[in-house]
Amino acid sequence: MLRRAARAAVFAILFLVAVVMLYPFWFMIQTSFRSKQQFQTGVGYSLDSWAGLFDAIPVVQQLVNSTVVTVAAVLIILAASATGGYAFAKLRFPGRSMVLLAIIAGMMIPLQSVIIPEFVNISQLGLVNQYPGAVLVYAALGTPFATYLMTTYFRGIPTELIEASLIDGASYAQIFRRVMLPLATPALVTVAVLQFIQVWDDLLIGLLFLQTPAVRTITVGLATLQSSRIIDVPVLMAGSLVSALPAVVVYLIFQRYLIAGLTMGMSR
Amino acid sequence: MTRVASIGRSLARGGAGEARRAGPLEAAERRAGFLFALPVILLTGSLLFLPILQTVYYSFTQWDGITATWVGLDNFRRLSSDPVFWRVLANNVLLLAAIPFAILIPLLVAFLLHQHVAGWRFFRSVYFLPTSISWVVIGMVAIRVFARRGILNDLLRMLGIPLTTDLLTTELGAMLAVSLTFIWSVFGTNTIIFITGMATLDRDVYEAARVDGAGPWAVFRYVTIPLLMRFIQFAFVLTVITGFTALFSLIFIMTTGGPGYGTTTLEFFVYQKAFAQGVFGYAAAIGTFLFAIVFLIGLVQRRLLRSQED
Repeated sequence: MLRRAARAAVFAILFLVAVVMLYPFWFMIQTSFRSKQQFQTGVGYSLDSWAGLFDAIPVVQQLVNSTVVTVAAVLIILAASATGGYAFAKLRFPGRSMVLLAIIAGMMIPLQSVIIPEFVNISQLGLVNQYPGAVLVYAALGTPFATYLMTTYFRGIPTELIEASLIDGASYAQIFRRVMLPLATPALVTVAVLQFIQVWDDLLIGLLFLQTPAVRTITVGLATLQSSRIIDVPVLMAGSLVSALPAVVVYLIFQRYLIAGLTMGMSR
Repeated sequence: MTRVASIGRSLARGGAGEARRAGPLEAAERRAGFLFALPVILLTGSLLFLPILQTVYYSFTQWDGITATWVGLDNFRRLSSDPVFWRVLANNVLLLAAIPFAILIPLLVAFLLHQHVAGWRFFRSVYFLPTSISWVVIGMVAIRVFARRGILNDLLRMLGIPLTTDLLTTELGAMLAVSLTFIWSVFGTNTIIFITGMATLDRDVYEAARVDGAGPWAVFRYVTIPLLMRFIQFAFVLTVITGFTALFSLIFIMTTGGPGYGTTTLEFFVYQKAFAQGVFGYAAAIGTFLFAIVFLIGLVQRRLLRSQED
């Protein structure tokens, strides 16, 4: 398409952009393997800061917390959005379009606009500092978009499949389990990956609903490390790396599903 | 990624025009429909729609989280005469200044990626990578970039530019730093949106343009951009909503809204008023205002899309 020199120039620009996007990761990795002094002088490497990180916050416990909360929230979102998507796309019942319209409008509710009653309600239920409180809030916030994606996906599955199964004597529940769910696997993976990253990376909900160090997620733990005025940059970078790694791994394995989710969000 | 909150579409049209069947089969379908929709309805009803109604209700009250007294429009009146509120609103407008860059840079880069030079798939993966990183981590690194003894100044020195920046210590500087970080963070998502859009364009259009003697810039300006309008609009709305509703963590880490109120945006203002100062009713009024803005953006987008479809 382009002449050789032009292609070289394009490559050079793209390469430069890649450097800008990757440099922060390199900075994190490099800095985390330096002690505070080594960071200041820029000479030498050590594991001091990693040891310092494990002294400063309960890293393993908070990774476990993150995993429990994230996995639980994602499972609820998957269950609700798969059943809901099936109902909205394939089953006729009174009020269906109204409810679906409300769910779509629900995607436009900013977290900050509901966070105050959310917090008051959850504290009245006595669920602050307990996993279920945060899990429910994450699940409710992720569900509208997930349901939208699942509905779009189920719309693309031919209704004839359902009719054929009905003639064979299957119930709607059996059709869901045996026909629809297996066909929807790619969409389910997309929803799971999107929501995993979303919940894992969240700060505000964790900050409010999981306040004590023992139940905090790693993202919140990292944020508190920063606000506790420890100006030990290498320790902060080690913490950043630990908290980012699980989501990055999920991204690297499932990136094509993430891209699929983005394009499905755009489809009409 | 941000909560993708901008794509209400023609989905809700649903089963209009489908023939109505009578009899037990239809009743079974209806029952199944209700049952399968129930989890979503319960979950969002109790934990999303109830809270937003509560926010709107409590914005007309004085509320400490336990007792609320009705005060009518008092909170909104106080809001309109609160100089801090206007400052915060101005910050949201300042943030909008970042949007053209957050759209144009990805658009140009997507155009270059679309030339499919060696390694373009690798570059695409790299560009999209920050999407998986939390704003907390991004903020952590961003502080080291913009700090006085940070990466930006190192870079300036390396390039021989006799300039030492200290962005995070001034109000406008901090806003600039937050905006630059914001542009960096949404770069990947927007690039992917545009590269996806370009993949849907017909090769013949490019061929025709080139035969007519158009250079790469003319092709980009007069062919690619107009044909991508739908995608540009999607990215635009997504980016605005991200800027208005998803930067809490970034601001919390980078500046905690300061210096002064230099980087306090509406969403951060809600948090400060509610959870730092405990004036829940007043904070609910700000939350209601934010909801109204975001909802309006969503509605305008729907309207625009519909007018394009006609």
